Amino acid sequence: MFKLNLKIAWRNLWKNKGYTFINILGLSIGMASCILIFIFIRYQLSFDENFKNENRIYRVISGWTTPDNFFESAGTPRPLPAAMRNDFKQQFDKVAAIQASGGIIKVKDESGKERIKTSESVHYAEPDFFEILSFKWLDGNPRQSLSQPNTVVLSDEMADKLFGDWHKAVGKSVNFQNKVDLKVTGIIEKTPDNSSFPLKVIISYKTYLNQARPESTNWGTVSSTSECYVLLKEGASIEDASKSLPQFITKYYKRDNVSKESHRFQQLRDIHYNADLGNFANKVMPKKELYGLAIIGAFLLLTACINFINLATAQAVSRGKEVGVRKVMGSLRRQLIVQFLTETLTITVISLLVGCVLTEVALPGMQSLFKDHISFSIIEHPIIFVFMVILVLLVSFLAGFYPAMVMSGYSPALAIKNKITANAAGLSLRKILVVVQFAITIILIIGTLVVLRQMSYMREKPLGFIPTAVALVDVPSDSMAITRYHTLQDQINKIPGVLSTSYCSAAPSSDSNNESNFRYNGTVKSTFQANTKTGDENYFKTFGLEIIAGKGLSKSDTIKDIVVNETMLKKLNVVNYNDAIGKSIRINDKTGYIIGVVKDFNNMSLHEPISPIVINSDKESYTTIAVKLDSKSILPAMQAIEKIWNTVLPEYVYGSTFMDDKISEYYQTEKIMGALFKVFAGVIIFISFIGLFGLISFVATQRTREVAIRKVLGASTLELVKMLNGSFLLMVFVANLVAWPLAYLFVAKWLATFTYRIDLNIWPFVFAMIISMVITLITVSIRSYKAAVTNTIDALKYE
Amino acid sequence: MIQLNNIEKYYANKGIKNYVLRLVTTTIKQGEFVSIMGPSGAGKSTLLNIIGMLEEPTYGSYEFLGEDVTSLNERKRIELYRNHIGFVFQAYHLIDEMTVYENIEAPLLYKKVGSSERASRIADLLDRFNIVAKKDLFPNQLSGGQQQLVGIARALAAQPSIILADEPTGNLQSAQAEEIMTLFKKLNQEDGITIIQVTHSEKNAQYGNRILHIADGVVKEDVAILS
Ligand SMILES: Nc1ncnc2c1ncn2[C@@H]1O[C@H](COP(=O)(O)OP(=O)(O)OP(=O)(O)O)[C@@H](O)[C@H]1O
Ligand SMILES: [Mg+2]
Repeated sequence: MFKLNLKIAWRNLWKNKGYTFINILGLSIGMASCILIFIFIRYQLSFDENFKNENRIYRVISGWTTPDNFFESAGTPRPLPAAMRNDFKQQFDKVAAIQASGGIIKVKDESGKERIKTSESVHYAEPDFFEILSFKWLDGNPRQSLSQPNTVVLSDEMADKLFGDWHKAVGKSVNFQNKVDLKVTGIIEKTPDNSSFPLKVIISYKTYLNQARPESTNWGTVSSTSECYVLLKEGASIEDASKSLPQFITKYYKRDNVSKESHRFQQLRDIHYNADLGNFANKVMPKKELYGLAIIGAFLLLTACINFINLATAQAVSRGKEVGVRKVMGSLRRQLIVQFLTETLTITVISLLVGCVLTEVALPGMQSLFKDHISFSIIEHPIIFVFMVILVLLVSFLAGFYPAMVMSGYSPALAIKNKITANAAGLSLRKILVVVQFAITIILIIGTLVVLRQMSYMREKPLGFIPTAVALVDVPSDSMAITRYHTLQDQINKIPGVLSTSYCSAAPSSDSNNESNFRYNGTVKSTFQANTKTGDENYFKTFGLEIIAGKGLSKSDTIKDIVVNETMLKKLNVVNYNDAIGKSIRINDKTGYIIGVVKDFNNMSLHEPISPIVINSDKESYTTIAVKLDSKSILPAMQAIEKIWNTVLPEYVYGSTFMDDKISEYYQTEKIMGALFKVFAGVIIFISFIGLFGLISFVATQRTREVAIRKVLGASTLELVKMLNGSFLLMVFVANLVAWPLAYLFVAKWLATFTYRIDLNIWPFVFAMIISMVITLITVSIRSYKAAVTNTIDALKYE
Repeated sequence: MIQLNNIEKYYANKGIKNYVLRLVTTTIKQGEFVSIMGPSGAGKSTLLNIIGMLEEPTYGSYEFLGEDVTSLNERKRIELYRNHIGFVFQAYHLIDEMTVYENIEAPLLYKKVGSSERASRIADLLDRFNIVAKKDLFPNQLSGGQQQLVGIARALAAQPSIILADEPTGNLQSAQAEEIMTLFKKLNQEDGITIIQVTHSEKNAQYGNRILHIADGVVKEDVAILS
């Protein structure tokens, strides 16, 4: 029976080749998009899985409440892990500190000659860290390998790189930061791409403590690079543990009238998805965005299914007679439904195969967009296969069930007398579906237009400084390097194409920011914190910053001179900027005097408002030399800078970026959003319009006789085209009306995440309407024109 | 009014020409009531379609109102449909989605007749054909004869000078057929409308004043009927 059904299904599909083609085209593109979205979401959800006891692992988060702000960091004060280990014995099995850092690693060969010099990110970790997170050890074990100072554990990949073969690495030693020699005591397996812990070089935490850093015992400073992980005792609850936190906080923190400390525990499986807190891997994917993608995927599939339903119910009329005859022969309704569903299933399976090919084709594009290796291997991830089976069943059912119900429901008498008209087959339902489909399409068009406009706004918005052709070259900040600063700057300045250079702690806009409390003009502590930056006398010139009162920094190595920005003075209620000149600011336990005011510039991404900023000179704090270049000679100048850098600072490793690249990095997520919107809006438009084409084709065929009659009554081609087009344009117009408010809600919400954003006006909406109406007009006119000009005599001749 | 010269029509099938009409030459004058007769497949409908410009002859020339229309452009032909030619079909070919009233109105809309003029003309026709009571019904709610009356009313609405009817009574019983034929005769005699009909019935042909006998695509006989 099934085989017979399949044979009939095949013949029917072949008979209606045109509609079958449209259905398969739409469905396969829709399914390919869904598969792509699914494998992406699957990959994202696979982050940090497969750790033993993953439900009992938490990261300690620090929070501060100030009078006008609340913020959180994934970092904890350095003494916290030890204190917590002591005070939470009842609740936690293990507590461990891990400190992210970086430095230069050197390996010497037998003869003592330097063989490898490389700059790597490193982590200092307590042995307990590896008992909380179960990494795979290839050699050694956490207890023995990391309990002594000056020991290091490498990933097999890193060990291969440093020693040629990781099997030979244990027992050898590496030099770190030109200071200490570390003995390799263990090897762990390289952490996978989908991990928030990109551990390559793990140095024992005792080595870190040995460096006698003052902050190791300071509860007052927190860096996001020092994290703390805990393993909850079996049977204990994290809520109970959290109840002990207030007591813990009063015990260790000094009372302070500016901000109030707090802590909480973040689940291991939340780390990848929390964009505010971040992680060592710098890979975050907010769940919200994954949901957004899933919704787009569902929309795509829905649009394709609507095509299917529309074409199937439209064709249903011509199947009426078959249904009647079958019923008279004794076929049950149930059997007819099964038969029609078999046809849908056949189409869906063919579409899936085509969709898989499309997925394969589109995959490289997607991987380069997300810069991640995403696998489409059914063998590696059987869940993908399960998804595809579910997809096929869902689509077959969604698309096939309603038409099957309609067709199998025809009464045999009516069907045989051919009295079933298009109206009987759910014309109004088709209209509603077309409206839904186009509403979705229009929402995506509007969304795309708004996203693209906001992106170009961000590209073009003046930031208050000039980021083009500025290279940011790393400089080491230890005392040995500082003595060579002068030579380095001198020599770089002599390179042709270099316009000016400036040592600084950070560029005007940067993702590394320091916030500090301060006192203005001898008064009490301020209620807000200032963002501090340091730079030399050329800072303003190099970045094109504008001084609007007083003067810029002069050549000096002290912090006596201070420049503040406009926001700072506005927040301090200083109206006339000149009034502020000469006033004192006490910050970081040092006092300086305001000598100038700099015009406001965006110091973070455009998601954030401008901070109050304090700029002064401080040789000890520089990390970067910024080089403003003539845009015509960037390439040779950069080569020359690298050469000079390496001769002046041969012990260190060169690194540089460009200011504009840094800025465009802020908008990585938006860039991806924009690209996705463009692609998926294109796909949905395509699917919707081929569906529309199918439908108008059907309507045109259906009304051939009417067209012929009207023609002999004197209707012109234009009048006939208008008649056939009319209802379609009306439907798309209604779809616009439905889409507008929904689209408004979406884009307004999205734009609200930007402090600096375009004004949402009517144009994207009007434009979307024009696009949709014009494309509709073209699509349906092509077909209805053809219907209106073909010789219609045959429709009238015989009956 | 109509001048056909050496009209030929054939369908080529696998290189063989199947002639449907051969060298048909005839003249039909204003005010004539012509019946075309002949066995099935003789080419009657084809001839009528050529006269109605629904089909083009393969060869020969055709003048309508003194104008050569063998290769008429689209706009000109629509112009003729709107003002001079009315069609009546064996299968009526009313538009199913429109009421009786709307069906009759359709050609007037295309002709861009003003609304009051339209209303009065339709009222007139409904009255004349005794179908006032049926004006809001749909075609499938009417009998065949009633549908054909609507079809004729529609053909007359635009006040054509000629009516082309292909077996207008082919689907009707004799009583209804008689009614239609009487109507045609009246239209021809009182309103001076030229009528060309295809018919199988000798009796129906007697209502007219001329008969063209066709067989195998050739005009065999052209007889006048004296009444
Ligand atoms: N499109 C076509 N292709 C090939 N042959 C055709 C085509 N249309 C008509 N014919 C042939 O032309 C011939 C004449 O057809 P026509 O319809 O004019 O006959 P008729 O005299 O009206 O017959 P009837 O009395 O049955 O209506 C027929 O033999 C028919 O088979
Ligand atoms: Mg015929």
